[in-house]
Amino acid sequence: MEQPDNLIHQPVRLKIMAALKALPPGEKIEFVRLKALADATEGNLGSHIQTLEQAGYVAVEKDFAANRPRTRISLTRDGRRAFEDYVAYLRTIIEAKP
Amino acid sequence: MTLSSDQAAESLKEIDRTGRRSAQAYGYANASPFFVMWGVIWMIGYTGSDLYRHYANLLWTVLTLAGLAGTIVIGRARARAGQPHPGINHYAGIRFLTTFLAVGVFIAATFAIFGHATGEQQAAFTPLIVALAYAVVGIWKGPRFLVTGIAVAALTLGGFFLLHQHFMLWMAAVGGSALVLAGLWLRAV
Repeated sequence: MEQPDNLIHQPVRLKIMAALKALPPGEKIEFVRLKALADATEGNLGSHIQTLEQAGYVAVEKDFAANRPRTRISLTRDGRRAFEDYVAYLRTIIEAKP
Repeated sequence: MTLSSDQAAESLKEIDRTGRRSAQAYGYANASPFFVMWGVIWMIGYTGSDLYRHYANLLWTVLTLAGLAGTIVIGRARARAGQPHPGINHYAGIRFLTTFLAVGVFIAATFAIFGHATGEQQAAFTPLIVALAYAVVGIWKGPRFLVTGIAVAALTLGGFFLLHQHFMLWMAAVGGSALVLAGLWLRAV
């Protein structure tokens, strides 16, 4: 990778991806919990999740739990691979430091 | 766009920081329902032990089995809700049961070595073991577990030495409530 993946490199999206990558594969996280982890506002987080969803990096599932709407987000296989590539790219830069 | 090594290092630090917080929050959320359930079991068990002293052992045997069954039910429900790798949960379940058994054998062996223990002594020892387990988990996995362990130990020792006459009721009201509150606190974002 010559360039960083700009979809992931943006600070809020980086936190979203890092938070999801720390979970077991396929595990979902609730929107409110992700909001706290990403230190983002609701609108800001929603827009970044949409960007990542359109790229196929995350999957969004909306349902009801205890009669309340619930949004849960998980990392897709493509998202996991893209994030691993991004981290590998960062390591390459650090290792190449003169 | 290319990144400097400082920018790359900063990004890696942020990934590590957020990943750690996420894993911790995941652990808290997973543990929360178990704390609430065992808190309720403590409330019932200690109240029953105070009211029906002669049946305390039988009551705790029934409640412990109910707690184990509840733990399995909650674990399976969580597995169905999110975890797509049933194998992981299968092994986690076996590890949990084995751990539970090991702790049970340890407690029984300790009582066997030290001889006769009063009802209050028995009732205080198990929560102290539980508190120790929370504290150790907390040292490695997250401060909320550590705080819960310290609180349970302090409440148990406080009740044992200061309110010995009413220790069972103290543990029912304060010990059980502490576990329930800890469970709700773990669930909080």
